[in-house]
Amino acid sequence: MPGPLNRYELLKTIVHLSNAFTEIEEKLHQMLLSVAEAFHGDRCLFLGPDEIEGDETLFRLARERKPFWGNEGSFAYIPVCDETSFYGLLQIGFAKKEEFSPEETDLLLLISKEMAGAIRNARLHLKSEQTLSELTALHEMGRAITSTLKLDDLLRLILETGLKILKAKGGVLRLEDKRTEGLKVKCNLGGHDQNPLDERIAKRVFFSQTLFALNHSSEGKPSLSILCAPLLSKGRSLGTLAFYEKDAVPSRFDERDSQLLLTMANQMSCAIENALTHHETSRTVLQNEKRVKQLSTLWELNKALLTTVHFERTLHRILTAITVGDGFGFNRAMLFLVDEKIHALKGKMAVGPDNPEEAGRIWNSLPRGRSVAELVTELQPSHPNNSLLNTLVKSMEIPLEGEDCILSRTVLEGRPFNIQHPRPKEGWLKSLCERGCRVGSEVGCCVGEQLGRNSKSYAFATVPLWGKGKMIGVILVDNLYNGNPITDEDVEFLSMFSTQAGLAIENALLYRNLEEGHRELKETETHMVQQEKMVALGELSANIAHEIKNPLVAIGGFARRLYRSIPEEGPEKRYALTIIEEVTRLEKVLNQVLTYTRNEEKDFKECNLRDILEQSLSMIPGGGDGEGIRIVRQFSGPLPKVNGDFRQLKEAFFNLITNACQAMQGEGVIFIRAFPASRNGSSYVRVEVEDSGTGIGPENLHNIFNPFFTTKESSLGLGLPIVHKIVTSHRGQIEVNNHPGQGVTFIVTLPAREEKSGEGR
Amino acid sequence: MKKILVVDDEESIRFLFKEELEEEGFMVELASNGKEALEKLPFVRPDLITLDIKMPVMDGIETLKKIRETERHLPIILCSAYGEYKHDFTTWASDAYVVKCADLTDLKATIRRLLGLVSS
Repeated sequence: MPGPLNRYELLKTIVHLSNAFTEIEEKLHQMLLSVAEAFHGDRCLFLGPDEIEGDETLFRLARERKPFWGNEGSFAYIPVCDETSFYGLLQIGFAKKEEFSPEETDLLLLISKEMAGAIRNARLHLKSEQTLSELTALHEMGRAITSTLKLDDLLRLILETGLKILKAKGGVLRLEDKRTEGLKVKCNLGGHDQNPLDERIAKRVFFSQTLFALNHSSEGKPSLSILCAPLLSKGRSLGTLAFYEKDAVPSRFDERDSQLLLTMANQMSCAIENALTHHETSRTVLQNEKRVKQLSTLWELNKALLTTVHFERTLHRILTAITVGDGFGFNRAMLFLVDEKIHALKGKMAVGPDNPEEAGRIWNSLPRGRSVAELVTELQPSHPNNSLLNTLVKSMEIPLEGEDCILSRTVLEGRPFNIQHPRPKEGWLKSLCERGCRVGSEVGCCVGEQLGRNSKSYAFATVPLWGKGKMIGVILVDNLYNGNPITDEDVEFLSMFSTQAGLAIENALLYRNLEEGHRELKETETHMVQQEKMVALGELSANIAHEIKNPLVAIGGFARRLYRSIPEEGPEKRYALTIIEEVTRLEKVLNQVLTYTRNEEKDFKECNLRDILEQSLSMIPGGGDGEGIRIVRQFSGPLPKVNGDFRQLKEAFFNLITNACQAMQGEGVIFIRAFPASRNGSSYVRVEVEDSGTGIGPENLHNIFNPFFTTKESSLGLGLPIVHKIVTSHRGQIEVNNHPGQGVTFIVTLPAREEKSGEGR
Repeated sequence: MKKILVVDDEESIRFLFKEELEEEGFMVELASNGKEALEKLPFVRPDLITLDIKMPVMDGIETLKKIRETERHLPIILCSAYGEYKHDFTTWASDAYVVKCADLTDLKATIRRLLGLVSS
């Protein structure tokens, strides 16, 4: 037994050990050694609660918290506890039975108290250290989650910090995807998102809104530890946060980890929700900005379209708007309109360079610092617009029934197409050749081969043009030169514009029709006034002419008698001759007046214009080929027959040729040409009479078909009016190409007979 | 000698025709309108008639129709200042149509042709 001095020494040692800066295990070990030595114990042990649990006796001792000497003094159990907690039992075994004096028992109890104190301190220390580290971690996380509003950065920070705090080796963060209503991996460290278990656990946690922990270890297999918490905000799950593989032996997440994770998850949820809101808001703002820009572009373009009703200009502005950078920025744009008469799409106009070099040149020559509306208004179509592309598009005619052709489908289905990789059967630009489409027949139906370099990779988009409740055409766009992809958004935006464009085109068309109608009406009105004037003039002239004619016959007749009865050559004979000549002239004039004014019935028959022209020429004195005048006939081989009055037509051409002869004052060349022509799908015969005379003074040009207008001294001014009357009564047209000083060409077009069988066909 | 009945409302024309045709060796009787011509016809018994169209009392076309009721083969020349009716003269059963003009060569040639005379 230790003596009093020893007791003091022992207590001193124990107190000293208790306050030393060593780990609690070491402290206890040293204390046990000291106790064993002081009490000559055989062995000295400290039994923790775990070791006591299975033993009923020890358990009872622990509960009673009283010293106990067992086996008649061969070992002793001293409870290690304080007022509140029980920490374990101090067991001392002896080689032989020992009796303990009350002082010794007190000493042991004192020692056990000191041990309890040391353990309690150690625990407190550990706990405060842990709490401190947790607080630091949470602080760190707090700082992290407030450092950024960028969702992706934030999520990564959260996961990294969580990994550090929980000492896990991997982590997966999932957020709810509102579109698919699934959980989407937003951030992942360690690759555990590939584990099918991960998604299952995440779903369970997400819907149950409760924490999930799994610590599994079995022989021969790597141990598995998972901790997954829901991210909750205002009672709603945003997602899940899972951690894998606690970096400890054994690898398991304990209750403290769970609590920590829950705390973290709560904190994060707020941040994530904020970031989500921020993300959503930014996206909306961006979208709105884009929308505003699109709307203002549309508004600008609409303004540009509204400033004209001219058809060609409207088309050009639309296509320019589609191709300028500030508008839609497509490389090329082509416009086709529905022709209801032939039930087909007809190419109308195209804007865009023919090759990359031209594209660059155009780009560089664009004036800078202009609004899109100004640009669209300023860029005028080149006259004539004979770019390859424009010529090609204008020659295109696509039947509105081909299911294979994307252009006709756009119109028939009334929706846009965005074709990135055309396949041969579906989504191809095709022009069937049955209807005589030149392009179609040349390239074996694939228009796209002409529009793009390589039909396999030619990407394009089409949008329909809506008029008022019906489809009026289609616009085709591509990015042939810069190869920029055409997005669905581009096409949607273009569709918005095409609605306006369609209306603008329809307005321009209506305006054009209105203008044409107005012009026709005016022409008809003028024509009618002219007709009425002529009828009145005709009646008057006819009456006068007849009244004059009979006296003239008498005057002329008797003048002849006088002339014959005067035998000698002398002044009387000359007087009589003058009367005869003047009467002859007057009779001629009267005949002309009567010809122009009378409504002669026409004898319409099938006529060959070549015969008519030849007969007209034969009526010209000397066949027309006078001394200084040469007549050149240029007749194309087979001429379609016309329906007409042979005699009248002969008179008309006779007048024209006579006119030409007179215009040249005895010297020059007259070209007489006749050839078939077609206009608006109808066939005509075109006759041109060209002289090399002095031409018509511009001031007189508008009068030449007016009766009694003449610049010649010996002319009544009825020659050309008679020609005009005859030609128009044959449903033909007469035009004048006047080149003052060089000559005049009169162009007469007469409709061919309806039957298809023309001469030589 | 062949007898010609000239029917015309214009006195100067009747006078001219009489002078000219008598010079050609014809006997010439005159009438100033269709009615007068029809009255004179049985007495005069002409070999040929020149008939103006536009006349008062009875115009040339009506006169022609009346004459043709009895005289189917008598040569009749419509002789008018109007050129318009030229194409229709056969429908009225006249033998020729001559547009009046100061130069009577055409008329004289037609008369000779219809009377079967050799032109001088």
